[in-house]
Amino acid sequence: MRSEKSGVETKYLKRFVKWTTIILVLSLFLLFSMALASTVGPMPISVENALGIILHQIPIVGDAIQGQWTPLEESVVVQLRLPRVLSAALVGVALSIAGVVFQGIFRNPMADPYVLGVASGGGFGALLAIVFGVGLSSLGLFYAVPVMACVGALSTMFLVYAIARTGFGIPVLRLLLVGIAVSSFFSSLISLMLATAGGDIHAAFNWLFGGFPICKWEYINVASPAILVCSVAIYAFARDLNVMLLGEEQARHLGVEVETVKKRLIILGSLLTAVAISISGIIGFIGLIVPHITRILVGPDHRILIPSSALAGASLLVLCDVVARTILRPIVLPTGIVTAMLGAPFFIYLLIKSRRITV
Amino acid sequence: MVTLKICGVECYYGSVKVLEKVSFTIHSGELVGLLGPNGSGKTTLLKTISGALKPKTGIVYLNEAEIFGMKSREVARNIAVVPQNTDVNFDFTALDIVLMGRHPHLSRFKLESEKDLTVAKNVMDLTNTWHLAERHISELSGGERQRVIIARALAQEPKVLLLDEPTTHLDINSQLEIMDLLKELCVQRGLIVLAVFHDFNLAARYCDSVILLNKGKIVSIGGVDEVLTSENIRKVFQVDALVKKNPLTGSLYVIPLTLKWVKASANKKFRVHVICGAGTGTQILKTLVEKGFDVTAGVLHVLDTDYETALLLNIPVVSEAPFSPITEQNYKANLKMINEAKAVVVTSMPIGFANLLNLKAANDALEMGIPTFVVEETPISQRDFTAGKAQQLLLELKSKGAVFVKSQNELLQLLDGLEVVKGALGYEPTY
Repeated sequence: MRSEKSGVETKYLKRFVKWTTIILVLSLFLLFSMALASTVGPMPISVENALGIILHQIPIVGDAIQGQWTPLEESVVVQLRLPRVLSAALVGVALSIAGVVFQGIFRNPMADPYVLGVASGGGFGALLAIVFGVGLSSLGLFYAVPVMACVGALSTMFLVYAIARTGFGIPVLRLLLVGIAVSSFFSSLISLMLATAGGDIHAAFNWLFGGFPICKWEYINVASPAILVCSVAIYAFARDLNVMLLGEEQARHLGVEVETVKKRLIILGSLLTAVAISISGIIGFIGLIVPHITRILVGPDHRILIPSSALAGASLLVLCDVVARTILRPIVLPTGIVTAMLGAPFFIYLLIKSRRITV
Repeated sequence: MVTLKICGVECYYGSVKVLEKVSFTIHSGELVGLLGPNGSGKTTLLKTISGALKPKTGIVYLNEAEIFGMKSREVARNIAVVPQNTDVNFDFTALDIVLMGRHPHLSRFKLESEKDLTVAKNVMDLTNTWHLAERHISELSGGERQRVIIARALAQEPKVLLLDEPTTHLDINSQLEIMDLLKELCVQRGLIVLAVFHDFNLAARYCDSVILLNKGKIVSIGGVDEVLTSENIRKVFQVDALVKKNPLTGSLYVIPLTLKWVKASANKKFRVHVICGAGTGTQILKTLVEKGFDVTAGVLHVLDTDYETALLLNIPVVSEAPFSPITEQNYKANLKMINEAKAVVVTSMPIGFANLLNLKAANDALEMGIPTFVVEETPISQRDFTAGKAQQLLLELKSKGAVFVKSQNELLQLLDGLEVVKGALGYEPTY
């Protein structure tokens, strides 16, 4: 009896080791997915070479990596394929963490990064740039759409936040309802623009379905620090999120400044989503199913759930993008279509299998 | 020594005043019960003390420090709350939940240390939940879950423990377990425990003092005997209640009576003497009291169910020592009581040698000219343990004019008729 008791304690104290192992395994899986994704394209490159080239790019450690790849292979991977793969990984990270955050705040398994209308707001901004050329002159061709999308997304979030606010803070149900209303409004504006726009609306549709048609290192260099900072900031609230799953009142009694934490998490989660949208357009389902899958694998504790979701989401989106690029070759499908086609049945499978939703 | 001091607290929801000038002080080691009807402000008071709600006026002090204005973390290190609703629908283990109680003690990126785990184990041992440590909280029973939540509150290492109806949804065994635990926490750890109860008897049995709240105001505060009086209960709950001392536990217990009885008792009808026993009279006694009759009973043995009922209903009784035959003295006392009644009722009680004299008393009643009613729900052959003597006496009763009825309803009709006829004609009817 005694040894069993101390067993529970040891197990808990060794949680850190267990968590590190999980992170390590998921990181390796992500690396492998990225290498695999880098082999796909008109020019065949072996997985070992792709992996070697990717690792070679990492400062300091990379110098130790030597291989037999040609300079052409290296430049194809680094200049052409890696930006797309990295973009997918970054968007996967951002949407998954945002999904965890919103499901946590709302204590609702159906919440996703787009509940606050960030997607349709971002879509509205992007379409202003694509259809009407707003911002084209000042920002240039490559930056107009992402910047307008980001601006649209964030403005929508602040609008929703401002409307939902009451004297006593932000009741989550109210936030959810305002989010739905504002989201519908912007969706209707998007439809209006698509219905009335002449000329080329193919680009607009592509953006709304979500994908990675234009990926540049310059943009990755801006987006990745933003995602990293937001993610770390969110991770600082991991334990608060655990406690908040018990309900806001109990969380307050356990020493969580609920309203402050909620406000910061809403802003951080929306920022992540806005950055993700600016890279890839609207990619559905990743932010909804990744937290679910990860929760089944590692449990509900946000201290492991957040990093695991980030890594799993990145891998999943990288692999979905591989499918999008290869399945109807030479046509490249919008990645958002693939995530929805794979994600929805898988989600239904999970629901049937578990017969109960765990958040 | 810790002191929780509530000074002149007033609270509003919108323009509705929910707490009015509430002031009291609690010291270390006291278990205080908060009682009052729904909507009397109990939960609001707990919220004010836990710092979740800002009082419009008034201050809550813990020792010298004002609670509202403290950081949540600091409040949580001093005051723990066990809420009314403790449903947790997530796959956290019981130990996970208890470790959440360490949240206010941990800095942002810190993982729970060995010390935190030791605290968790101690409080889980104390609440008898350590064996549940690895079970998922959603799989536990109500009582187990409540104990885990109390363990979580204790893991905060608080000085004050606030509980909102901690025993409401629990079975009797879990209720006592939790109350024993709370008492122990007060006595051994010097905690201040303030808990909302709906069960007077639980509060009476365990609390050092009680606060009775009504419409946001303190009606009465002090020891259990001072606060839990039938007068206070009538004033606050509009229910008549009997307050008695439990001979076994030495604590008060409260028995609410029906509203009907309150009305009827104001205007009593004539006196009815009931001869009963072994639980056969309980329903009849209660109904007669409710219908407004002035009821007496006897001879009843102490420990008999009907005796208990008579005590609860404040019915005058001639009583006899348990399991012994009725003495001559008590038989006569009974006759004296019968003599003052307008009617006598004999229930279909089992008759042995110990209570045979009761049937004789019924015979005497008839001879005194008092109408006597025999309720015969069970045939005498099945309840005669006197080798026919009881049957004999019953036959005698019948021949002398006793009225035999089959049911309580029939009895009530006849008794009511007795009153009407008597009222109209001014003489005793003969049946």
